[in-house]
Amino acid sequence: MRSQRFGDMVSGVLLLLLGLVVVLAALLIKGAADVQMQPRTLPLALGCIIGVTGAFLALRAWRYSGPTRIVPWPDWNGALRVLVTLVSLAAFLLLVQSLGMPIGSGLLVAFLVWYLGGCRPICAGLLGAATGGAIYLIFIRLLNISFPVGFLSR
Amino acid sequence: MFFSWDYLLQGFVTALSWQNLLWALVGCFIGTLIGVLPGIGPTSGIAILLPLTTVLDPIPAIVMMAAIYYGAMYGGSTTAIVVNIPGESASVPTALDGYELAKQGRAGPALGIAAISSFVAGTLSLLGLTFFAPSLASVALAFGPPEYFGLMFMGLSLVISLSQRALLKGIISTALGLTAATIGQDPLTGDVRLTFGSEELIAGINFISVIIGLFAIGEVLVNVEQAITHIYEHKKLEWMPKWSDVKQCAGAMIRSSFIGFFLGLLPGCSPSVTTFVAYDVEKRVSKHPERFGKGAMEGVAGPEGANNATVSGAFVPLFAFGLPTGPAMAVLLGGLMMYGLQPGPMLFTQSPQFVWTVIASMYIGNVILLVMNLPMVGMWARIALLPFPILGPLILVFSIIGAYSVRYQVFDIWIALIFGVFGYLARKLGFPIAPMVLATVLAQMLEASFQQSLLIAQGSFLIFFNRPITAVFMVLAFLSIARSLWSEFRERRLEVAEEDLD
Repeated sequence: MRSQRFGDMVSGVLLLLLGLVVVLAALLIKGAADVQMQPRTLPLALGCIIGVTGAFLALRAWRYSGPTRIVPWPDWNGALRVLVTLVSLAAFLLLVQSLGMPIGSGLLVAFLVWYLGGCRPICAGLLGAATGGAIYLIFIRLLNISFPVGFLSR
Repeated sequence: MFFSWDYLLQGFVTALSWQNLLWALVGCFIGTLIGVLPGIGPTSGIAILLPLTTVLDPIPAIVMMAAIYYGAMYGGSTTAIVVNIPGESASVPTALDGYELAKQGRAGPALGIAAISSFVAGTLSLLGLTFFAPSLASVALAFGPPEYFGLMFMGLSLVISLSQRALLKGIISTALGLTAATIGQDPLTGDVRLTFGSEELIAGINFISVIIGLFAIGEVLVNVEQAITHIYEHKKLEWMPKWSDVKQCAGAMIRSSFIGFFLGLLPGCSPSVTTFVAYDVEKRVSKHPERFGKGAMEGVAGPEGANNATVSGAFVPLFAFGLPTGPAMAVLLGGLMMYGLQPGPMLFTQSPQFVWTVIASMYIGNVILLVMNLPMVGMWARIALLPFPILGPLILVFSIIGAYSVRYQVFDIWIALIFGVFGYLARKLGFPIAPMVLATVLAQMLEASFQQSLLIAQGSFLIFFNRPITAVFMVLAFLSIARSLWSEFRERRLEVAEEDLD
């Protein structure tokens, strides 16, 4: 499961499937009149390339008989850290319109700094507040960039 | 358009007036700061700051805008080197080796070399702009869609070189990048492709989100997983480049000046392309190409030099024909027109004082950037001293801002996140990510020029071989592919032979 061979076989099969999806989606693209190359041609060709190269990758890995190369997949703790980071990013994205960029970013920084063991909760909170404040002052007030501001718009 | 020592000297006198010098200084400073901020590249930097210059006279205003552009170009490389966030596609090749150098505790020397290379290439290419602009301007007009296709195709052939020893995975990575770029509307017909019913995807996938995801978010995820405490792997840190570093990169600086300047003359050939070409050339001429991607100083000097040289090259068609070669130049053109100046053949005869002052101020701007940035190198490099559990979340927030700032859509941050996960998996499974970025950047122009060429030739593919410039590019591309395939084949045979002997 941890070998490069297994990883290549799985990714090859997934790429083959992705290639098929792209080909099917490309076939659904409407044709245009008076053009030398139809809009579907490039996606169709790319879908075929992805599928064929994916199949070749899987096949090459299947036939590989050399020394075993190990993929450095994470241990349980490592996987949990990545998962929590991704979930917190997804939560941020779901809430950013209502929280606003400064507050949302501040909370994200505070949580992740604390969770990843950067410093104590109070220090992480202060760092989050400083990040949110800096974003508000520099990007929203100074550069006038249209970030979602959430509560702060009231 | 003609050169005259009198005009140039007069230009220097005007540019060295304390007012213009002050605005060039302010422009370089603000530009560098803007460039360091995530997501605000030179184009949006100039666009945001354009209103600030309206209080000035035309000459100081354009001097300041050009300085902002230069500064932002340099500033963009800082985040690429120190924290692996290339804020724009032009900084991607810099990040490939720059960040590796940062991890080895050599962020300072890498930033220093970036500043010196930018200065050298910027100045050399300015000499080209000053003395040869009239004869070179016509080059821009000799390029039609087939020539662009040839150039882009040659650019894509660099993929093989960027794939290191994973050729098949490099090709897959390229195909995935091209597929991601075809999502949205067809460049010629406007037909919607591969959107799977999503309205957000109709506008296509922004490549800045792809870059930020693959590089910054992917790298943060790897470091988070491994509970890295500091991105520096070594205790011993260096803050400034050594003389030996400068000597080692001297050739790269000169080569990149030529590459950047000449390719910069072509409309559409933005620093995104020239920096990749410069990186590839450095790798090919190097006696130790295996060091590239693992922290080769020339891998920073080449792209950084090409980046600045491209800017000087781009001023030739801008001044001579009013032809902007990229979005940043288009904003500058807007600025020129705002002050009542009409770029084109008449600009040099109608407003010589203006043109030569701007050119002279660019020489001065280059010196200002070097003098201002070298002492700041240590300060930027120290950012990477922050413990990773603090730096990592900050990089994520910068990445979010960077991805959002391009089109102000939360959807673009989702795209960055998805490509971040892809970047993480690609690192684990040994898929090179640079080819994907190059493919995403080149895709639209590649397809558009291909379609336009076929339209001109009424469907005949011969158009790519019977026009001299196109034919040269195509032959070079095929030669490059054949050479790389041959060396890959030879290496594999050697490996098999060694295994048999064992």
